Amino acid sequence: MRKSSIGRDALIAAALLVLLAALPMVFPSKSFSDFVMRASAFAIFATSLNLLVGYAGMVSFGHGLFFGLGAYSFALLMQKLGTSIPVAFALTVVINALVAAVVGAICVRLKEIYFSFLTLAFQMLLYSLIIAWTAVTGGDQGLTGGVPRPPFLGVRLDDPHHLYWFCCTTLVVSLFLMWHLVQSPFGYTLRMIRDNPRRASFLGIQVWRVRVLAFIVAGVFGGVGGMLISLFVSSAYPDFAYWTVSGEAVFMIMLGGINVFFGPLVGAALLLVLNDFVTKVTEHYSLVLGVIILIFALGLRKGLLGFVVQAWKKYVSGALATEKSARPGRN
Amino acid sequence: MPDTKETLKNRRGFIKAASAVTAATGIGFPYISRAQDKPIRIGMPTILSGRVAQLGISSRNAVLVEVEKFNAAGGLGGRKIEIITRDSRGKPDEAANNTRQLINGEGCEIILDAESSAGAFAVQEVIRELKVLCVHTNSETSSLSADPKIRVPTAFRAARQGIHDAIVSATYAANVAKAKGLKTWMSCSPDYAYGRDNTSLFLQYLKRFQPDVEMVGEAWPKLFQADYTENITKILQAKPQALYSALWAGDLVSFVDQAGIYNLLGQTNMFAINMADYTTLTAVKNLPQGIHSASRYIKTFPATAENAAWADAYKLKYGDYPTNWSWENAVAMSYIVSAMKKTNSTDSAKLADAIRGMKLKTPFGADGTITMRAEDQTTVGYALGWGTTIPKEPYVPNVSPGDWKSIFEHEAEWKKTMGYA
Amino acid sequence: MLACFSSASCLVTQTTGGLISGMLLFLVAAGLSLIFGTLKVINFMHGSLYMLGAYFAFTIYNVTGSYTLAVLGAAAGVGLFGLLFERLFMSRVYGTDVLMQLLVCYSFILILDDAVKIIWGAEFRSMGMPAAFQRPPIILAGGVLPVFYLFLIGVTILVALALGLVITRTRIGKIVRAAAVNPTMTSALGINTTLVYGGVFALGSLLAGLAGALAVPVRSLVSGMGFSILIESFIVTVIGGMGSVAGALVGALLIGLVRSFGSIGFPLFTDGLMFLFMTVILITKPSGLFGKEL
Repeated sequence: MRKSSIGRDALIAAALLVLLAALPMVFPSKSFSDFVMRASAFAIFATSLNLLVGYAGMVSFGHGLFFGLGAYSFALLMQKLGTSIPVAFALTVVINALVAAVVGAICVRLKEIYFSFLTLAFQMLLYSLIIAWTAVTGGDQGLTGGVPRPPFLGVRLDDPHHLYWFCCTTLVVSLFLMWHLVQSPFGYTLRMIRDNPRRASFLGIQVWRVRVLAFIVAGVFGGVGGMLISLFVSSAYPDFAYWTVSGEAVFMIMLGGINVFFGPLVGAALLLVLNDFVTKVTEHYSLVLGVIILIFALGLRKGLLGFVVQAWKKYVSGALATEKSARPGRN
Repeated sequence: MPDTKETLKNRRGFIKAASAVTAATGIGFPYISRAQDKPIRIGMPTILSGRVAQLGISSRNAVLVEVEKFNAAGGLGGRKIEIITRDSRGKPDEAANNTRQLINGEGCEIILDAESSAGAFAVQEVIRELKVLCVHTNSETSSLSADPKIRVPTAFRAARQGIHDAIVSATYAANVAKAKGLKTWMSCSPDYAYGRDNTSLFLQYLKRFQPDVEMVGEAWPKLFQADYTENITKILQAKPQALYSALWAGDLVSFVDQAGIYNLLGQTNMFAINMADYTTLTAVKNLPQGIHSASRYIKTFPATAENAAWADAYKLKYGDYPTNWSWENAVAMSYIVSAMKKTNSTDSAKLADAIRGMKLKTPFGADGTITMRAEDQTTVGYALGWGTTIPKEPYVPNVSPGDWKSIFEHEAEWKKTMGYA
Repeated sequence: MLACFSSASCLVTQTTGGLISGMLLFLVAAGLSLIFGTLKVINFMHGSLYMLGAYFAFTIYNVTGSYTLAVLGAAAGVGLFGLLFERLFMSRVYGTDVLMQLLVCYSFILILDDAVKIIWGAEFRSMGMPAAFQRPPIILAGGVLPVFYLFLIGVTILVALALGLVITRTRIGKIVRAAAVNPTMTSALGINTTLVYGGVFALGSLLAGLAGALAVPVRSLVSGMGFSILIESFIVTVIGGMGSVAGALVGALLIGLVRSFGSIGFPLFTDGLMFLFMTVILITKPSGLFGKEL
């Protein structure tokens, strides 16, 4: 349980960012940068959900609430109020944090599957609201007319290169912050609560408060993912708040590996590639994807990155926060 | 993947350069001979799975008929059209992503957007950014072309449009109401953008054309609702003399079946704008007589040999009659092909200039032609009308056609009130 | 909405309308609840079983012309399908994370939706009303009662009674209830839990298939049709209490009535109303109206 140094991690993050930013020179096709931008949004979203599922043992079925809330808050602030991008970004973070605080405070009191149901119910409430409140949200049609991208501090997001770099930076910074969080004492408290809430509470930890805090952090980063996607598609759609988004995020986590910090990142990229590939080669999208999921669920339970990491575990020891033993089963 | 992308990019660059040269020297197309074997790729984002899979399937079928004709006739100086479809499964963000993939990844030079409305708006935003020629074929939402804020120079609509339908529908309904003394009305439409817009516009014009009608209630089932009992019983309570519905396809079939066992249609005159489409007409077992419907697509309206021949050829090839979506896509494809022939080019800006204002000879025009109106880049002059159903072919024997002069008048006024003009 | 309560014909029509919507919902939700109660898994592909039941009935009716055969055949067929699914796939993820079970179910939702499209085609289908029910509705106190719906209510009440009797009065019911409380103890007593699990899953599937078959004369068939019924029956189960068949009945009727009267009062937010209802129940009594206390 060695605590990693901030300086070293920041250096790694900076190097990663440079690498990502330079990638279009190697792969100059637009569809590659399109892919990276979409993947950034979903990677942040899936990683934020894994803070709850993997680290805190809180299986939320309704994390799409924050993806949708982030996308709609940001797009509406830009479109209807004409705020600048940094202001809209900051306000969206605040909105997501507030909503997460309220929803979290109500939900974390419930145990296991009931927690999952209640988060789902809240998400579907937002979805119903988006659908019903046509005057503001555009209803099922989504926001039409595009999200404006005015320049700020020399950054012009209507330029595809700038947008690409912006997405990469947001991805790296978000992952860096979440990584630090799970390596912090707070992160270890989360894991203790996940593995043995009673012991944690005997040690004087206010389990309820820690869980709500985790819920807020996850909600904020989930919203950041939503903001990126609304910037990318220049709109917001009710689908972003539908339960299928939560389902996809769950699948991304499982695909990459629930017990590895970068599992959701890998899973998000994999699912998007898989998605595009299957759509491209066959009309029987559901059939093919269904079979892939089935094989995966029955055969590759630890996720792809989970397997890789397990093999390397000896060398990287505690730093990657692998949890070899499966999390307590819910049966 | 990156490699092919590169060559495609180079190819596009080459074609552009080549067409610039030919244009400058006036020699004609032999100079693009290197590109001759390369197909013209047209990307088609649409819906091929889920509850509205038929939208994509019948759209694509119609497109392929046109493409075959074009390719058999030698293509564009030897270049043949290749259609690449992508299934969005009805999700707008997927539609946007697929469109980007088609253009950036597959090197499609033209987009034929056969998404439903929500998808079409998402595709529109991609087109705004990537500036490729795009023809929307299945979205009837008026604002897509009418609202100048949403309009895009290279994007067109080749399809019917909500406001046109509403004016024609209300004119017809007002006449029936007058003749039969139908005073109390109710609506039962799916609760989503299309259903709400369609219904409110219809009622607005109905009230204008026949001021003594009275609305006695409205029912709003969800899109794809399975059980309409709650809506049907509500209508039974209100006992309206007439019922307007914008339900469509499977939903309309369920509604008619369920209304049947309550004997609702025996007591109320039903005006179902989306009834007269072959899949719907044939799916309802014991289709009730006398349902009023707009002509979505039937081969006897317009009653011309060309129209019937087109439908029969389609049926011969695919085993089913075409749908409303089919004719819209056939028109879109005709526009693309005509523009390519006219400009001898696949350059989006040139094609867009050619399509803007183009009058096309087609079986689906009210007078044998359809025009792509230049000011808002949408089709006008297509055949539309209303009639009543009978349980067997031709299903809607007498269609009274809508009057385009009246449509234009009311549409112009509507645009003003909406702040679009 | 208030005006409706003062009119007998409105009350009769809306109430029966709500009951009818609730009845089919009950059959689906009861299966879902039964499976959860015994196996402790949420069968997220339950809606797909409903869809299969509808398509089976559609085909059997078209081949044989007998609606009775169609209903029985479809229910049995889906029951068998459920048994195979449980033995071959679901049983492999017992004891794992709930997320794994979710994935297995999700994969089957996808696979079955496409399979239906491949076998029966992408366009929607409609079976039409069997001749025996093609008669004018009965008028009662000014309210309208279609004959087919009376049949539907009758069948569902019979099924509900039979289920209740089996669970509370028979040895099988006792085993099922015991397995639900303590699976290790039951198997220690020499009871074959594998058999119990398979049997309960098959029964739950059979109920969903039955609902599909009963719905087919009045609902059009299309790939993906199981989805909305899944969401609704899921809400019903949560409200009634996961694992309680009585809860499923009350929940289903409640949702049916909320929808029926809600469509008069709040036509634009009936869906949101259901989720709101579910949220309130989860906050105030997470185990549902009839669930055991947590």
